[in-house]
This record gives sequence, C-alpha cells and structure tokens, in this order.
Amino acid sequence: MSNIRHHPKTETLAAFAAGRLDEARAVVIATHAAICTECAQAIEEFETVGGAFLEDAEPVALRDDALENVLRRADPGVNVVTPQKPAGDLPETRLPLSAYLEGSIDDVAWRAVAPGLSQSVLKAEGYRPGVLRLLKIAPGVRMPRHSHKGEELTVILRGAYKDEIGDFAVGDLADLDAGDTHTPEAIGDEPCICLIAAAAPLRFKTVLGRIVQPFIGL
Amino acid sequence: MDEQLTRVAQTGDKRAFAEIYAYFAPRVKGFLMRGGTIEAEAEDLAQDVMVKVLRKAELFDPTKASAATWIFTIARNARIDAVRRAARPPLDGEDPALAPEEAPRADVLCELKERDQRIREALENLPLEQYDVMRLHFYHDEPHSAIADRLGLPLGTVKSRLRLAFEKFRKELGDHL
Repeated sequence: MSNIRHHPKTETLAAFAAGRLDEARAVVIATHAAICTECAQAIEEFETVGGAFLEDAEPVALRDDALENVLRRADPGVNVVTPQKPAGDLPETRLPLSAYLEGSIDDVAWRAVAPGLSQSVLKAEGYRPGVLRLLKIAPGVRMPRHSHKGEELTVILRGAYKDEIGDFAVGDLADLDAGDTHTPEAIGDEPCICLIAAAAPLRFKTVLGRIVQPFIGL
Repeated sequence: MDEQLTRVAQTGDKRAFAEIYAYFAPRVKGFLMRGGTIEAEAEDLAQDVMVKVLRKAELFDPTKASAATWIFTIARNARIDAVRRAARPPLDGEDPALAPEEAPRADVLCELKERDQRIREALENLPLEQYDVMRLHFYHDEPHSAIADRLGLPLGTVKSRLRLAFEKFRKELGDHL
C-alpha cells in the first residue's frame, strides 16, 4: 500500500531490526510494517546489516559436545512447526497485533475513560518500561493537548485523526519524541482506533487534561 | 551457505547442517559475546539458535534473505526472548504462512545477492566513526547511554552519529536502487 503518508523514523526501524525496541514498540512497528511494504523493506535492509555483522563477528568455539547436543535437541520426533492461530477474514487478524488480542478488534473489551474516549491495555510488558494499548476516539472528539515523557509510537488501525503534524489514516504511524506536543482529533464518520506504545505516561498541557488524567488512566 | 541451508530445508541433509553449524555457531557465539553476553550464556544461546535453525530450516526463504541475515534474526530474537521471555511479534518469517512454496527463481536469488552486496558496500563506505556506532547498535541490546559510556562519548554524539549513519546508509542504498 503506497497511500501511507506517515512512517517511523529511520532510527526506529533500525532499532527494531537490531532487536533494541521494547516489546510494546516492537508490536507497533511490526503492525505498521505488515501494512507498509516500504518500511518492511527498510527493516529487511537493516536485518541484512545485522547478518553482515554476524558474519564479521569473531568466531568463538562452542563446547565439543555442542553439535551433538544441538542435533539431539532438534530431533525429528519433536520437529513440528507450531501452527499459528488460523487467519480470519478480517485483515487485522493477519497483523502481528493479533497475538495480543482475544479475537479481532471487534471483540476488544473497551473501557470508557472519558466521553468519546475508550481504551484497552494489552499485555506486552517487556523488560524495558513500555505500555501497549488500544485507544478508540469517537468521531469529532479531540484529545486534550498533551506531550510525552518518553517516545511514543502510534499506528492507526481504523478511521483517521488529524493533529498539528497532519492527517493520519489506516497504516499511518506517528513516531513522537519525548516532549513533542499534539492534540489529535478523530475525523471522518467512524471511530478512530489506534495502537499506541508509550514509554511513559502522557503529560497533559491543559487544566482539564490534568484533572481528567487520574480518572482516565492514560 | 544459502545452498546448504536450502538442502537442510528440503532433505534434512545432516552434512549440510554440519557445514552451517561449523560456520555460523561460533559466529553467533562471538556475536553475542561482543554484545556483552557472558560466555556460558552465549554458549547456551548459540546452541538454542542452532536448534532453531535446524528445526525451522523449512521456513528459510532464500528469495527473502541470505542465510546470514536469517540466522541473525533468529539470534536477535533468541536474545530478546532470553531477556524478555515473552513472545515477539512474528514478523521474522516464523509464520508458516510465509514459508516458500516453490523452488526459488534464479533471477530473484540473483537480485537478492546483488542487494546484499550493495548493503555490504554501503556499510563499508560509512565513515569509520559511524560504522563503529552502527556495529555497537547491532551487537548490543543495551541503551545508547551504555554505548556512549563504552566509547567515552556524550550520548548526543552517539545518537547523532547513529542517525547520520542510518541516513547515509539508506541514501547509499537508494542511490544504487
């Protein structure tokens, strides 16, 4: 799909390929890359760099019995490729995100956090702090202006929103730095559903935002 | 090594696997140790990686990646899993749906080899200081601040060198495409 206008930064793609991202952010990047062939290709290129560094690494001999050990552990008796969940009709079920959902996006148990705003926190805690969640913004609803303590990645799964950066539609990804401020507003007729990975809680810029924050748990 | 890995995939050829093992297992171990993994752990992880290589060989698609790149992604994920123990999104060709169905076409293989060659050239054309931070970026999974400490450089310098390296690298690739 070439109608994707907003992509991750190159360094984010390189960090993904090198295995440096926390799990929450890795899921968001993988979701974008499953839709965006351009970024999938960039990731492959960086993985090729990883392959080149692997080939160039100074070899260190393994223990003498290691090969025997490997062959025994990989024995055909247990040589089965684990079947994945069957892919449904919805394109979402083919996304990497599906491993974190019970069913499809239609089955998500939303929790209302403010008028026109609901969320669902997904289980993707890595060893580095990071939170993965789905956010649903009703058409026309604008989130309070906020900034981020850490980096934040957002990929649009349904609908669209606009903010100071531009219009974001399905597949588009916002790669925000700590300190970036924005005011997303859902546009179009259907709710905007985004998948968000944040390293730290949001910081609201407005009094209203600061008042509702403890209640909405963002 | 691509041919050997394809043979392992198609016929479970143990001799071909032994060749792959002889070439890659010590490199995976060395790669992990360069990244700061202690030897005993690197040994275990390298063995885990080779078990996965053998078991998942049929998912290797020589039209998508070279053996080195494919094994790098397995080693990368093994390192992530070792620290994280949770599943990683299956973008790395571990999904059976992504397994190749037909014999690879020679021209596609040729294209991939050319791309790999261009990537290597782009890498070699990076200024040394950028090459060094890029290498650490791939060897280590520690934060950039730790890489900065290791090199005795300010964090901002490491970050800007990395950004320059990535941009230059992509530009070089773009120029050749």
